[in-house]
Amino acid sequence: MTDVVKGSENETAPVEQPGTQTPSISQGDVETVPVLTNLSRTLGKRFFELLVLLFAISTLLFFLLRLTGDPAAVLAGETGDEEQLELIRKQYGLDKPLIVQYGVFLSKVAVLDFGKSLANAQDAMGLVWERLPTSFTLVLIAFSANLIVSIPLGAWLGSRPDRRTRKAGSAFIFVAQGIPGYITGLILIQIFAVELRWLPSIGNQGPASWIMPAITLASFQAPHVIRVISANVSEAMREDFIRTARANGAGFHTLLWKHALKNAMMGATALIGIQVAFLLSGSIITEVIFAWPGLGRLLVVSVQTLDFPVVQAAVFMIAIFVYTAITLTDIVFLFIDPRLRRQRA
Amino acid sequence: MTDAAVPKASAGFRMPRIWSESMQLNIGLIIFSIIVLSLLTQLFIIPSSYLDGELTSRLKPPGWGGHVFGTDQLGRDLLFRVMGGLPWSLGIAGMSTLILAVIGTLVGLTGAWYQNWIRTVVLLAISTFVAFPFLVLALVMVAVVGRGYWPITLTLGIIAWPAVARVIYAEGRALLQREYVLAAKLFGVSQWSILFVHVLPGIRPTILVMAAFLFAVMLILESALSFLGLGAPLNEPSWGNMLADSRQYLVNAPWMMFVPAGAIVSAVISLNLIGDGIAEISRKRARAVEV
Repeated sequence: MTDVVKGSENETAPVEQPGTQTPSISQGDVETVPVLTNLSRTLGKRFFELLVLLFAISTLLFFLLRLTGDPAAVLAGETGDEEQLELIRKQYGLDKPLIVQYGVFLSKVAVLDFGKSLANAQDAMGLVWERLPTSFTLVLIAFSANLIVSIPLGAWLGSRPDRRTRKAGSAFIFVAQGIPGYITGLILIQIFAVELRWLPSIGNQGPASWIMPAITLASFQAPHVIRVISANVSEAMREDFIRTARANGAGFHTLLWKHALKNAMMGATALIGIQVAFLLSGSIITEVIFAWPGLGRLLVVSVQTLDFPVVQAAVFMIAIFVYTAITLTDIVFLFIDPRLRRQRA
Repeated sequence: MTDAAVPKASAGFRMPRIWSESMQLNIGLIIFSIIVLSLLTQLFIIPSSYLDGELTSRLKPPGWGGHVFGTDQLGRDLLFRVMGGLPWSLGIAGMSTLILAVIGTLVGLTGAWYQNWIRTVVLLAISTFVAFPFLVLALVMVAVVGRGYWPITLTLGIIAWPAVARVIYAEGRALLQREYVLAAKLFGVSQWSILFVHVLPGIRPTILVMAAFLFAVMLILESALSFLGLGAPLNEPSWGNMLADSRQYLVNAPWMMFVPAGAIVSAVISLNLIGDGIAEISRKRARAVEV
């Protein structure tokens, strides 16, 4: 999915740097806070947010499910008669008052017990755990591929944005940004599996079958990252410190790759971290397109079959994954950006 | 022409400038108007019987027998089908963008105005939900509330507001520090008129830019949901449904994929162009004011 909102290529919607509140508003005295204090504060904040999110999602799911229908009917399926419904209500505690059910539900969720899958009576969390490594492989490959392509390409495009080749490149990236990943995936299948018969289009069967899913997944994110890096680099190239370095005799490539890119990566790191979440969105669609046996496909199948224990377990896992990614980005930031170690007193 | 030269009667009226200074905005608006025109054509001119298929003309390539874009596996004309998808894809995306823009603006401004626990709650809500993938939330919600036009619209509208609220909060807070707001406060202007009469116009470009981009995101999201078989009901001509159908016929009838794909891509690109264009113009104006 091209999430165009979170970028900083349009100055009206700046990416807020984690841990800072728009510093331009009030300028107090600045003092340096030790990294570790900040680190624990960041970790605590993120953990709290994660708890709020998990609580909100499970509460929402619980009440929506109860409000929109009789869960016993869902559990029994279309063939269930009244006797079965009674039995199911007893078995799942659905005959108790709503608030009691909610309490029982929350206390189970707190220990990550989501019950058994309605489809095959396996432990819901176990099913999710099983699928996690395959999804993780895909996300990791796509993520690295994305970085390997996006950083140099973005820097190249941003280094001399007025040249004709770079303009054509930027226009191409702009169009690419408008192509949703699932279309990229279908076009790739059309070309490489149907026409050329080079690559397998289904499943996880060794490195050759990783190529198309990885490109598809990376395409959800890459154009956006390239645009942000290119915008940041071209901005950095106009900064005073670049002029100083040039006056000191640094060559163009030193300027670009050492000075400008380093600075541009500050902003891009935040984006890349946030976008890990959107890689996960993308991986759901990618896994369905390529029949990749991962978490995303499990989630979609469970939603289609109304297998709520598995849906909840999967959503919990995704939430934890997203927050781990964001927290890691925060930590990376604290170490690479000295400005964040200073706080308003 | 200076203001003084304008006759008083027409002082309040200014020709809306259709052709703006930003080329991106112009191109985006042209493509988008074509899309909206075809939506209107579809709604008011084309009879719905055109959506029916003829089984004798299944999977015909573009140009065959007057079918400009070819036909699908049930012999339905793809041009009319892709237009029939407009109320679904464009309609759901547009309505949900409207909903999320309103909620996001209200929440963002509320957070910017209050300096007590309300702000804390708003900020916590924003930072908690802004990072969570829309699609996962949408999937879960759709599983519970079901499919159909309004459930999907409301779901998409409700899940994506934090993205807007975060930016509106930051901008609103900056504007609330300005002298003219202080002056309004000293005049005893009420809270809501300060927010909606004095602050809101200042963040209007931002809202427009975000709405354009989010419109595109919602369009992609709606198609993704339908593509996964969890969006529009299966027989409806939503673009995502058409893409999902096309997967089985990639070998024999690739145009079944390229037609809806082209529709989605052109809609998304036109919206991105509009968003970029408005951002460019408002950036230029801000720079002009500073100088």
